Amino acid sequence: MDLMIYVLDTLVFMGIFALLSLSLNVEYGFTGLGNFGKVAFFMAGAYTYAITSSFGWPFYLCLILAGLVASVLGALVSLPALRLREDYLAIVTLSFGEILRIFVKAEQWLAGGVWGIAVPSAFANMDFTPRMQTWASVVLVWVILIAVFVFLYLLMNSPYGRVLRGIREDDVAVQVLGKSYVLYKVQALMVGSAIAGVAGGLFAQYIRFIDPYMFLPLVTFTVWVMLILGGPANPWGAVVGAVIVEFFNRGSRILKDHLALPFDPHNVQYALFGLLIIFLLLYRPHGLFREKPLKTGAEAEVAKWQSSS
Amino acid sequence: MFDIGQILVNSVVTSSLYLLAGTGLTLTYGLSRFPNFAYAEFITLGAFCGLFFLAKPDGVFFLALIVAFLVAGFVSASSYTLVFRPLVERKTSLIHLMVASIALGYVLRHSMGESWGWSAQAYQIMWPVYNIGNVRITGLWIILIATAVLTAVALHFFLTRTRAGKAIRAIASNPDLASVTGINRQKVVLLTWFFGAGLAGVAGVFRAADTRLFPMLGWDILLPIFAVTILGGIGSFYGLIIAALLLGLAENFGVVLLSGLGLSTEYRMAIAFLILIGVLIIRPKGLAR
Repeated sequence: MDLMIYVLDTLVFMGIFALLSLSLNVEYGFTGLGNFGKVAFFMAGAYTYAITSSFGWPFYLCLILAGLVASVLGALVSLPALRLREDYLAIVTLSFGEILRIFVKAEQWLAGGVWGIAVPSAFANMDFTPRMQTWASVVLVWVILIAVFVFLYLLMNSPYGRVLRGIREDDVAVQVLGKSYVLYKVQALMVGSAIAGVAGGLFAQYIRFIDPYMFLPLVTFTVWVMLILGGPANPWGAVVGAVIVEFFNRGSRILKDHLALPFDPHNVQYALFGLLIIFLLLYRPHGLFREKPLKTGAEAEVAKWQSSS
Repeated sequence: MFDIGQILVNSVVTSSLYLLAGTGLTLTYGLSRFPNFAYAEFITLGAFCGLFFLAKPDGVFFLALIVAFLVAGFVSASSYTLVFRPLVERKTSLIHLMVASIALGYVLRHSMGESWGWSAQAYQIMWPVYNIGNVRITGLWIILIATAVLTAVALHFFLTRTRAGKAIRAIASNPDLASVTGINRQKVVLLTWFFGAGLAGVAGVFRAADTRLFPMLGWDILLPIFAVTILGGIGSFYGLIIAALLLGLAENFGVVLLSGLGLSTEYRMAIAFLILIGVLIIRPKGLAR
């Protein structure tokens, strides 16, 4: 047993799920949109990557396309529900995840249906050993994760991010200020879905084979566990939540593979995740990390004014 | 090849199932004002309760229905008391309530998966098959349709003639006014969670008897159940009856249309999804309002 492979594998999955958690953070944490179909956009990205890379296109182009396709889908699906109450959006996104999986299963010509589709490695023509390819995947995933993190950090502290937080708190007030809240919600969903799509592309690239059964609603739930545990509206929370949950995910998989237990660790793990979420929502709804106050230019002014008086 | 009479019978069977399964969802959704995604698991739980009685060919079907009703109702009522009521009292947001319901769903589903396994099982009870002309109908379907009709009639009288039924409607339309007139809100809501999920458990037994039994059973029909709930208008039982009939017809005629067009019949679920989207665009309050 090669321990290093486990570590690298875990790092890749932590990075991919941290991206998903950050993407949900844009939608739910900052804008207050309950997207219960995250897996659909993850899946759309993964399949877009798989199909476009089979044309022999370079991996960065495929990743960009994965993000684009997912973000367009995100906008289209949510439009009918965005003007309505939050529960309609939840039901529509949740249903869409199921429908997209049915579509991919039924249309065998597109991507192999239930048989799945093989995905070429992004580093196939670079003369890498398998070990180096795994390393390259780790680097690729974490470089993109850091880039997305920085981008979101800046975006959410910009005036644009303040409008999103305003919509979360009170969308009527935002409307009074002359901002179309539907437009902002659509944009938040597009950004979120694009990140999820890129995460899907990275996922497909790394595991090299995808089929519809990898994209069950369980993925969406896992991302919600990460975000609620870490703390919504705090980018560090989203990443830390993803790292912790993915750590337990891997742990239960290793337990299942190497130990004979009287119970299935996978079942127990998800039942416990469910209980954890209920307890968090009851006793600590802001998760491990609280939302930070906004960083604006006004802060420095206030500090100057306070010190002079 | 396709007999209109047979499609109509199939439609009524589908509608009856959706009516039984949807009643509790629409009533609790109307009262508590959030969609309970763990509702799917009450259906599954009822189906697994049925397994205690129907694992052998000489099982008593009626007994399975009663036990499924009681167990699913009890679990639903306790989940309301232990999870949802404390959350509502803490003024938890709608999204958090939905997340909690999904979390509860995973607790229940994976507990059932641990207890009964994830592979599909089947009831061992056999049903007589009747052929009327070209139309084939099983004894199970007759019982299912009869149960749905009886439930609809009983609920109609319950909602219009009894104090508890009127209280449910009063709370659904105006919770504060209902409290002022001396209705015990907690008691009525708890009662609704019990009876609604009980009916869902009964629907689960029928579904498992008609197809197979596995932990995803309830989840697989959750989407059409949400579609009928929203099409009928959340909280409206009469809207639900019409919506269940419409979706039953749409699905069964749709399947014929799909195979006529050379598309996979797996798209049956997509019909419910299209109706859901259509309702949200054209008439988001549903048929009833």
